[in-house]
Amino acid sequence: MEKEKLESLLIDYIDGNISAADKALVEAELLSNPEAVKLHRQLTEVIGMMNESTAYEPSQKLKSSFDAMLANEKKTSSTKVVFFSPAFYRIAAAVTLLVVGGGLGYFISKYNQQQSELAEAKRLLQETKQEMMAKLDNEHSASQRLLGVTVAIKKIEKADREILGALIKTMNDDPNTNVRVAALEALGKFHQDPMVRRALIDALSTQKDPIVQIALIRILVEMNEKGSLQELEKITNDEEMLKEVKDEAHAGILRLS
Amino acid sequence: MTDEIIMEAVKNGDLQQVSVLFERYHKRIFNFLARMTTDREVAEDLTQNVFLRIIKYRTSYREGNLFQAWIYQVARNVFSDHYQSKKNKFSDFVSVDRVSESIEDKEESTDMEEKEILLQRSMALLSEEQRELLILTRFQHLKYEEVATIMNTTVANIKVKVHRAIGKLREHYFELEKI
Repeated sequence: MEKEKLESLLIDYIDGNISAADKALVEAELLSNPEAVKLHRQLTEVIGMMNESTAYEPSQKLKSSFDAMLANEKKTSSTKVVFFSPAFYRIAAAVTLLVVGGGLGYFISKYNQQQSELAEAKRLLQETKQEMMAKLDNEHSASQRLLGVTVAIKKIEKADREILGALIKTMNDDPNTNVRVAALEALGKFHQDPMVRRALIDALSTQKDPIVQIALIRILVEMNEKGSLQELEKITNDEEMLKEVKDEAHAGILRLS
Repeated sequence: MTDEIIMEAVKNGDLQQVSVLFERYHKRIFNFLARMTTDREVAEDLTQNVFLRIIKYRTSYREGNLFQAWIYQVARNVFSDHYQSKKNKFSDFVSVDRVSESIEDKEESTDMEEKEILLQRSMALLSEEQRELLILTRFQHLKYEEVATIMNTTVANIKVKVHRAIGKLREHYFELEKI
């Protein structure tokens, strides 16, 4: 018999896990084959040693570290599970997260859109302002300066200090009458601003050009600016003042008082 | 109460029940790992890992499956991960010289019979698979059917492999005996 086959049968024989036919075969082999006897003896010894080998005892440390680990796991598990154990709550939590997340996403994108629109508006205003300032600074061309003031009238909805300052300066100092009158009209647009009102009242005493003076008086009366009454009275009493200007001031006083 | 019913309770969140399973299995799992690693201290750490994994992956336990097969599968994975992580797998064989020193208590060692040492050294010369099969079927007395379930193979396949492993062990044992 082949050695591997014999060895396998011998193992079954030692284990007591063998059919009657195979058992007879093995016993016959053991009677006739000394090699089989030797194999049987050796296998019985190693199998017996394995079967009877004593188990090792773990140290007490294993039990104590297991207890600590279990306590820790119970703690983490309970904090995680308490509120979300029933499936309903878990689904509710998922839906809430989805809604909140979606809403948040929407608001963030909306906010970003608004921010970019705001930035775009600021950029446009900056461009307009630069355009206006550049034109007002052109001391060689009255028409360019006039265009600069027109930019303020047509394109600028809300003026900052710098724009107003430039318009006031133009109204007071520009050598060209038409430009000064245009600046005055532009300032009329921003008459709600206290800085503009003050500048217009002050201009009543400084402006010497009758066309500008008349325009000033009309605007101040339209603004219902009672603060200008004192200056208007001075004009009516000024001997050197042009009659048309005095008449306009007088009409203004009647409307304002 | 059966292991399976207890494990179902654990799966449903009653973690305290793991301590019952620990009482029933920790010695067996420790012995399996001690013989696989030939190092008691490492075996204790790995046994702890086995129970930790049972808690962590409790939801992966399938109702109706044998708990014993499952815990041994977890133990085999823990052992395999341990050796891969240590990159200690130069070969399937364990260093023969360190076996008896690391696995036995010193006091036991002095009294240990020569034949016992010889058996351990012969075991160390087997491949990891052969050593594992003999530990499960001979040292731990699991049935071929149970080992076939753990290793997800047929009973016939296990039987053939166990017989070959015993044959190899016999060869190594009587070779070493001559030295």
